[in-house]
Amino acid sequence: MKSNTTRAVRIITGNQAAALAAKNAKVRVVAAYPITPATPVVEELSKMVETGEMKAHFILVESEHSAMAACIGASAAGSRTFTATSSHGLAYMHELLHYATNARTPVVMAVANRAIGPGWNIWADLSDSISQRDTGWMQFYCSDNQEIYDTIIMAYRIAEHRDVLLPAMVCYDGFVLSHTAMPIEITDVNDFIDEYHPVWRLDFDEPSTHGNILPPDYFMELRREVCEAHERALKVMKEVEREFYEYSGRLTPLILEEYRLEDADVAMVTMGAISSEAKIAVDELRKRGVKAGLLRLKAFRPFPKQEVVEKLGSVEKVYVFDRSVSPGFDGQLFSELKAVLWDLRSPPEVYGRIVGLGGRDVTSRVFEKAVLGELDKKWVMEVIY
Amino acid sequence: MGEKLGKKWEIRFHGRGGQGAVTASKILAEAAYLSGFEAQSIPFFGAERRGAPVMAFTRVSYEAIHERSQVYTPDYVIVLDPIILDAVDVFRGLKDGGSIVINTVKSPMDFQFEQGSLLVATVDATGIAIKNNLLVAGTPVVNMPMLGAFLKIFSHIELETLEEVVMKKFGKNGKANVAAVREAYESTVVEKVRGSGKPSTEDVRRKRAVTMPVSTPSPGVAGRTRFWRDFRPEVDYDVCSNCLSCWLHCPESAIQRVGSRIEIDYEFCKGCLVCSAVCPKKAIRVSREVVV
Repeated sequence: MKSNTTRAVRIITGNQAAALAAKNAKVRVVAAYPITPATPVVEELSKMVETGEMKAHFILVESEHSAMAACIGASAAGSRTFTATSSHGLAYMHELLHYATNARTPVVMAVANRAIGPGWNIWADLSDSISQRDTGWMQFYCSDNQEIYDTIIMAYRIAEHRDVLLPAMVCYDGFVLSHTAMPIEITDVNDFIDEYHPVWRLDFDEPSTHGNILPPDYFMELRREVCEAHERALKVMKEVEREFYEYSGRLTPLILEEYRLEDADVAMVTMGAISSEAKIAVDELRKRGVKAGLLRLKAFRPFPKQEVVEKLGSVEKVYVFDRSVSPGFDGQLFSELKAVLWDLRSPPEVYGRIVGLGGRDVTSRVFEKAVLGELDKKWVMEVIY
Repeated sequence: MGEKLGKKWEIRFHGRGGQGAVTASKILAEAAYLSGFEAQSIPFFGAERRGAPVMAFTRVSYEAIHERSQVYTPDYVIVLDPIILDAVDVFRGLKDGGSIVINTVKSPMDFQFEQGSLLVATVDATGIAIKNNLLVAGTPVVNMPMLGAFLKIFSHIELETLEEVVMKKFGKNGKANVAAVREAYESTVVEKVRGSGKPSTEDVRRKRAVTMPVSTPSPGVAGRTRFWRDFRPEVDYDVCSNCLSCWLHCPESAIQRVGSRIEIDYEFCKGCLVCSAVCPKKAIRVSREVVV
């Protein structure tokens, strides 16, 4: 048996992992407002700032709207900034999420994914961050606590890269990851991430404004720049992923993760914590003679179009599982997968399933039964075990 | 090692809010990890408050744990509080041939269940907690002795490893907790008990249709919450001036106006003691509920 006593491992929750990542990534300004299930991130950070363990300013704010405003201001002034939120709190930030993108402030935010009410619900659901899809933030979806730690650290390297300069959300299922404790390695990243060196910043000695009027002659250029930055981000993500692997020995995917996909006939496509359960289903299905595989999207924005097409080009069937829904249409990941696969000469059959809204538990059996054709409806309502 | 591949154990804790079920599940995960296993600790969060029935889960495995869902068919169940046996089906989903540890003064043979047979372990963890002065706000905290009792039937973690984790976690209270762990381990009674072997086929999962999230005022939306109560408020009518302050402040509307006086509905009173705190005449006395 391996010895578990020698590694720098702690058994901590996803929220604790997020807070430690912010600390170790040399965040110097935190502005946040508590909301379940992200509250413990804010508590941990304020504790570490108070004791001096973390060298940062903690700005007390009266709302999430103000939290994001403070993060944008601090980032524009040249500080590495962090915040954490969830659900209604994220929705309340909406206006400023757009602002952070167009202002090109590389803020990184942890989002503990939670449903939006009423039907008051504090449990896991990706609808909160998926609703912010078009704000121009990069979005990463984690499937375990180690990934939360690693991704927040790597997110700063990507967001602050000269070719990118975009804000990033690191998302993880509320309670399922935010409050579940698992062993994670708290790697010292001192030599992986330096203090923030802004490309530009607001400066009292050289006064300037930004975010002022931009007439029709220029606005499209600004928006095209944002979109091109997203495309460049994919390349930077590959570099940072590789560099982090060399640094830590952990290959923590930033774009996508595949599991037994190389010879698969049927592929499942997922995001977030449910992806881990889907791996169990892949193994079970293979035991029963079904050549199943899994493609987990880690990055939802930028959407890795080319990579997805490459990975799914030769499968016969694709099952997409959304822990969110766009009322009036379908699961968002399902819609986007179909859009991307449309470019193929002979695209696979693509099916969508809505699962796990508002914290309804998603077990490996859900994936198994869907692939075996035993769940033929779009909505999977049952908890199957 | 070969026969151990794929071997994993799922453990479900039942307790009431404030008794430390979540802490116990995490400490068990830490002890398991230190013993060389992969481990995971999941709290089940509902709308619970102090006193409400709660669950937590621990998974222990020789291999990486990919599960992110709750535990439905545990190998082991740990019941921190005998009171919840009346409110929650703690045997539900427990594998036939599995094991259950119950904090009770009863003996293993006193329990009935639908499994064919179970290993039933009993321990008076409340008594051990009181003896070792493990009390928070007057309430015995039984989570650590229950882990000691659990190790009596779970041989994959050494008692010393658990004690090491407990010592580290509790600092100056470490010694008392470790003493309780050891005492519980030593006094746990284990017996193989036969059950009815006739699992009920009733599907307890109901179909629901929800359109508008509208609720109307009704007592006891959280069910019969008298099980949540550790302390019992009682009105001294000789002192009560009928000012209705308690009636106004009771968060559960468990205080009603009956004729010319107020009465506490003990089916729904959770023992939060807001009534006693707001009473200007100190007419609401508080006593410990009877502990099973």
